[in-house]
Amino acid sequence: MLSRRRFLGGATGAWLVLGPAGLAAQEGVFLTADEASRQLFPDAAITPRTVVATPALQQRIRDLLGRPPSLWEESYRISTLTRADAVAGFVVVVEEIGKHRPITFAVGVRPDGKVQDMAVLAYREAYGGEIKDRRFLGQYREKGLGDVLLPFRDIRNISGATLSVQATGRAARKAIAVLRAAGDLP
Amino acid sequence: MAAWMRSAGMAACVVSLALFGGATPVGAASPEVLDAKLKALQEEVDALKKEIEKSRKAPTVVAPPAPAPTSGTPPPGEPAPATAPTTAAQPQAPPATTTPWITDFKIGGYGSTRFEASDIDKVGDTFTFRRFVLSGDATIANRIRSVVELEFEHLTELEVEKSAPSEGGLRGFSNSIESSNGSEISLEQAWVEFMLAEWLRFRAGMLLVPLGRFNLNHDDNRWDLPRRSLVDRGVPVLPSTAAWSEVGMGFAGDVDGGSWGKFGYQVYVMNGVTLDASLETVARASGELETEVEIKPQRGTANIDVKKDKAGALRIFWSPSLDNEIGTSVYYGRYTPDFLPSETVWSLSTDGKLTLGPFEIEGQYVYTRWNGIKRVAQGFANAVAEQEIAAGTAPLDVVVEFELAGLADSKQGYWLDLRYRFFPEFLRGTVFGRPFENPQFVLTTRWEQVWLHNLVKEILFTGSTLSEISREDRYVNRATLGFTYRPVPLVAFQLAYERTWTDNGKSLASVTNFIPARRSEDTQNSFLFGVAFGF
Repeated sequence: MLSRRRFLGGATGAWLVLGPAGLAAQEGVFLTADEASRQLFPDAAITPRTVVATPALQQRIRDLLGRPPSLWEESYRISTLTRADAVAGFVVVVEEIGKHRPITFAVGVRPDGKVQDMAVLAYREAYGGEIKDRRFLGQYREKGLGDVLLPFRDIRNISGATLSVQATGRAARKAIAVLRAAGDLP
Repeated sequence: MAAWMRSAGMAACVVSLALFGGATPVGAASPEVLDAKLKALQEEVDALKKEIEKSRKAPTVVAPPAPAPTSGTPPPGEPAPATAPTTAAQPQAPPATTTPWITDFKIGGYGSTRFEASDIDKVGDTFTFRRFVLSGDATIANRIRSVVELEFEHLTELEVEKSAPSEGGLRGFSNSIESSNGSEISLEQAWVEFMLAEWLRFRAGMLLVPLGRFNLNHDDNRWDLPRRSLVDRGVPVLPSTAAWSEVGMGFAGDVDGGSWGKFGYQVYVMNGVTLDASLETVARASGELETEVEIKPQRGTANIDVKKDKAGALRIFWSPSLDNEIGTSVYYGRYTPDFLPSETVWSLSTDGKLTLGPFEIEGQYVYTRWNGIKRVAQGFANAVAEQEIAAGTAPLDVVVEFELAGLADSKQGYWLDLRYRFFPEFLRGTVFGRPFENPQFVLTTRWEQVWLHNLVKEILFTGSTLSEISREDRYVNRATLGFTYRPVPLVAFQLAYERTWTDNGKSLASVTNFIPARRSEDTQNSFLFGVAFGF
């Protein structure tokens, strides 16, 4: 039989153990935009700016995508990453609807318009959080605006998270379209 | 008190060191090492201060280049996108931040309808509203979320009327229930989760029992065939039919194994499945009122448990690569209420999914062992004393019959799905493809087998003595070929042909819970057309 002393002692120990681990893993929010920039382009200097999503910019993005995105942001945070005075790439923060809620992505794009890498900044759906796994996001490297980025076509699906998988592809394409519409990419 | 605090502190230290000893060896560092670390940190702080001073003196205002020409022309006269210079006040957090849980609450759900044309007389051609499930989820606070699912199965109405009519000056009381045939309202899930860490998420409430992959992923719109698998639903090898949930508590979590892939688990303690009674009342034209008390395994109570012992379930999985997974699960617990001898049921399941390009192979095997059925039958005889109780006077006779159902010494079975996904390019411009982002056709074959060993057929007892227990071995096979069109991932139009058969000359009705076959109908051929949707 477990005594009260042992139970309380164990519980206190467990709390001390789990406290730091819990603090490191905030519910749904995983990275800030700058943390993501540093991860996607290590050792690069970050110069962020905000681009307001005017109707004209939205129109250009829509034309580039061929269909409207699932949501329009008010503005886009674009970080230019430089190494030795040369542009190494860009990181754009975009959002797309998964099933019910927006998923926030940081998309790293190289100057040639290809995806360097992606990160999930915030995930708010009840299911489908597996899309933040590195092995899933790694599929989007080297993809460009000309790729469809859809499950069962050029992207491997995650069962039970198909809508989030589709949102990830839309986010990658949207980020490239934002950079082109804003004049950062040719 | 002092001794208690000492023991608590010791326990805390031991556990902390066990888990963090390797990662944070500060406690083991010498003063010299600590001094060196502090010096290094001071140097880093100084360097950062210099960087900040430099950036203040020369702000990096980046003028964006002119917008590149695009395939579309922006409306004339519209301003170019505005840009803001870099400032220290740029938002660092994601744009969508935490909202109060009540506004974050999202309602979703799924439903499914089916048309069936069967060569079983009692089925014939029929529409079936399989179920409508209303679900909701909310992030209550950081790291705390809740999920709920309420199921309405085959339900069209449920109406309760109570009255106190007066007749000839005498007061009577009336209570009537109007309901649809074979209906059910069920709380499938209702739990809260507290995420202590990714690998340790505490859950409590009405939880899906983690036995096999189907029970955890049972939503109709996720599957490409319009009928659930035999082992999970039609000839349940699971101790209770899917979707099977129980009241309990436990933990779930995922661990990233790096190049080894991903590992995960769910482990819960629950009230657990138990033999429970369901009453069926028949008013016969002869003036006889017959009540059949069927006692069979059912999901455990959400009220005070009818048995002392709790049940446990554990599922672990390994996902070596994306959308490939193998899992093993086990369930163990007492299934008899306190008035019957204590006997246990245990189940073992293995399941997995393999994706090879457009091909998917997915399957599940389940084995369930019901211990001590004969002892349970004897205890049951002791409890009810008579198999049939008759009472009353003409013109109304009341007959109560007892039946012990759905038990076998062991049950085992599996299902295996093979799927091929495709969508022809020439259809993308048609009504099947054009409006949708990623429409899919799915060709599916499913092969299923179930074996029932020593299935209880009949129990006869007189007084409180068990006189005879009749058992038999049975099997059920089913083959299904299906074709599904998914315009969007949440909606499926499912066409299928299925053939189900059992031992030669024996009725499918005695081994399945969904085919009302006659005594000698051992085979069913059905064409099904189903629509499943989620939102």
